[in-house]
Amino acid sequence: MLVSKTVTIINKLGLHARAATKLVQLSNSFDCDIQLKQGEQSAPANSVLALLMLESSQGKQVEISCNGNDAQTALDSIEELIANRFDEGE
Amino acid sequence: MIINDIISLDRTQCSVKCQSKKRIFEIISEIAIEQSPELDQVEVLTSLLARERMGSTGIGHGIAIPHGKIEGLTNMIAVIVTSDCPIEFDAIDSQPVDIFFAILVPEEQTDKHIQALSGIARKLSDKNIVKAIRSASNKNEIVAALA
Repeated sequence: MLVSKTVTIINKLGLHARAATKLVQLSNSFDCDIQLKQGEQSAPANSVLALLMLESSQGKQVEISCNGNDAQTALDSIEELIANRFDEGE
Repeated sequence: MIINDIISLDRTQCSVKCQSKKRIFEIISEIAIEQSPELDQVEVLTSLLARERMGSTGIGHGIAIPHGKIEGLTNMIAVIVTSDCPIEFDAIDSQPVDIFFAILVPEEQTDKHIQALSGIARKLSDKNIVKAIRSASNKNEIVAALA
């Protein structure tokens, strides 16, 4: 199953190192291929380096694509993490 | 962001003898204050350790990007250290770390911080650059690999 959704990065610091690390840890817990796309650039959600290269600051839109067994659960969980500002107290 | 602006040969060290996570942070903060005496070593060390406590900056493949916010710092600076043996670092892939690309960031420079991380990630995702850093026998070769 392939699902995708575009979300906005709303936390103050954007997709910085700690946020990217959380995203990778979460992504690794699912049995599917997850990609993040911002503009023309895309990054596998299992690589902190690749995610940092997206340079996703606050207000940027990213498209999350999940392909695999638990794609919908993965998409929902990642959307929630981003909406919850990566659980960072701001 | 051109990361060469934040790299300095004087803030780079090759194959340091170090066996613990705590000691590598001390080495990084020592190098930082040697070159920027206006910085306070305790503050630099505390800032790096505080960030590390929130989660390891070991981002996988033997690479860590420790970073800390420093009050009063005017420009972002990088301290680059390689260790002679990989160090246990609680990295995301559980692998020990031997490349430490530390950055000290002025407070309230969120955009520049993200740009710097992105620039560093671009360099460190290049396998040839990482290989050259690992096989460097002196700091000149590390800086040359990142140029």
